[in-house]
Amino acid sequence: MGGAGRESLVVLSAHGLTKRFGKREVVSDVSFDLVAGEVFGFLGPNGAGKTTTIRMLVGLARPDRGEVRIGGFDIARDFAKAMARVGCIVESTDLYPYLTGRENLLHFARMLPDGAESRISELARLVSLESRLDERVATYSLGMRQRLGLAQALLGAPEVLILDEPANGLDPAGIREIRQLIRHLATERGIAVFVSSHLLAEVEQTCDRVAIIHRGRTLAVGPVRELLATRGADRLLFLARPAAHAAEILETFARDGSARVDGDETVSAEVERDAVPEALAALASAGVRVFGVERQSSTLEELFLEVTGGETV
Amino acid sequence: MKFAPLVENEILKLLKRRRFRVALLILVALNGLIVFAQTQAKDRRPGRDWRIEAQERVARMQNWERSGRLPKTQLRWVRFEIARVQYHLDRNVNPDAISGPLFARAFANASSYLLLPLLAILFAADIVSSEFAQGTIKLLLTRPVGRARVLTSKLVALAVAITLTVALGGLVAYLFGGLAFGYRGWGAPVLAGFRLSGETFDPAGVRSLPLWQDALLAFGLAWFAALTVGAIAFLTSVVLRSTAAAMGTMLAALIAGTILPRVAPSWEAQRYLFVTNLPLPDYYSGSPPPITGMSLPFAVVVLTIWALAATAVAYGVFLRRDVLA
Repeated sequence: MGGAGRESLVVLSAHGLTKRFGKREVVSDVSFDLVAGEVFGFLGPNGAGKTTTIRMLVGLARPDRGEVRIGGFDIARDFAKAMARVGCIVESTDLYPYLTGRENLLHFARMLPDGAESRISELARLVSLESRLDERVATYSLGMRQRLGLAQALLGAPEVLILDEPANGLDPAGIREIRQLIRHLATERGIAVFVSSHLLAEVEQTCDRVAIIHRGRTLAVGPVRELLATRGADRLLFLARPAAHAAEILETFARDGSARVDGDETVSAEVERDAVPEALAALASAGVRVFGVERQSSTLEELFLEVTGGETV
Repeated sequence: MKFAPLVENEILKLLKRRRFRVALLILVALNGLIVFAQTQAKDRRPGRDWRIEAQERVARMQNWERSGRLPKTQLRWVRFEIARVQYHLDRNVNPDAISGPLFARAFANASSYLLLPLLAILFAADIVSSEFAQGTIKLLLTRPVGRARVLTSKLVALAVAITLTVALGGLVAYLFGGLAFGYRGWGAPVLAGFRLSGETFDPAGVRSLPLWQDALLAFGLAWFAALTVGAIAFLTSVVLRSTAAAMGTMLAALIAGTILPRVAPSWEAQRYLFVTNLPLPDYYSGSPPPITGMSLPFAVVVLTIWALAATAVAYGVFLRRDVLA
């Protein structure tokens, strides 16, 4: 997107956010913009200042310096106008356990401008909770609570959706469901979705852009692909027999000229993307039987080691 | 953004939880127990003339007074009681009459300094802290509704719950009392406004009014006392953000308030504590106040100041503090 066009689509902008607890500065000069229709990842290890930053974004905590604007309104001055555009889940999906799902949604709809109540049934369908909506939340599973929390966040038809670790505590199926929902909301409804996470894989699969936060500072902000591309080749895991023979062949294709035998039929090596087909062909013609190739999931540590220049997470 | 839906939310949350039903159950159980105990009382012999019983009681108390073995605080009370019963005898009004309406009226006095404050604490101590404990405070304060409005809606809901509890308490007392002693008698004359001037009985302020008026006044005062306790418990709930801590603090204060006048009657500064001023219906109907120099207007003023100050501090803290729960 070009400069001028993007400017006009900015729905949330954080500028120079700084927060101190006592003498310790937990968030230092954090700035970023959120654009309509994008999924923005906020990536950092636990304790990096993610949740504190989110609290400042939604007005739960007051920044010592810096400002947050949502839809052009400063949340410190026009709290109600700014927050009317935001739906959020901070830290965990906490709802009233002694109320039913519907009562919970009605409760939060009453705190929004007129029209929120009429969205309840549509949202219940969106998060597949229609059948259990009149049961008490105390009987819900964690995944159901998470989905109800999401429905709650969407009640006000927000322009910005802020989700703090939405995948926390979910099983793989639940994670996939949430991920699809997030993509749907951004692509189909043009909502700017802000997702915090400490899992690189999650950010990689869901987000368009990402900010990496470490010790309260943003180290990098940019499109996910660009940031990951700076890390060079991926490590590949070959399931092949005989392993020793496979390793010999793979050494010639590896970026650093080495391949490691990890087990009876596993060999790992850093092979550039474009060299993979040739490597496979070479293995096949040498009589090595290849049962599978896996891209080893990139770990947050690796990325951090590079971005922070050797500091550990 | 309208305000009524916010109050509706808060009332819904108060009523939907178990504690409101528990409060109701306490009121029913306690009233039932007291009525049952009173019907079993051995010294109540129907058919005997109340005048003879009252005269016997005066004579008994006069013996105590002369024995010289009573501590000073009890002596005050005995002197006051002798004069009060004698005054009733002189006006030919039975001081120990019992009926459903009188039982309900007595409930106002008996519940104003412990039971109703306790129930007020039950609601108020968790009205803000439970939102912190559940984590729902993060949702509540990220709606397009200012924090002051959120807190005000909670304060209004609390006042509604306390009002409802006092009214239900009176109603339950009347229903149970009536069952045992009859439902009639709202028009009976009542003598109220007894006072000690220094150490002597002062009948100047005594008035006779029909029971229903007297009962309304007494319940109004008990309601006001409960509201004050509610406001202070509300403050502890905001500041401590923990229901258990808030409830513990308030209970300790209430208990201290019932013990202090007994163990340290000469400590005069306690008249500025809120707990000492809670038995407003007692001050009104006239039993000797625990500390000399206290009166109904004084108690009302002290409680009002406590309630307003507690509310102001609660707002100050709630509006300013970061939510990190």
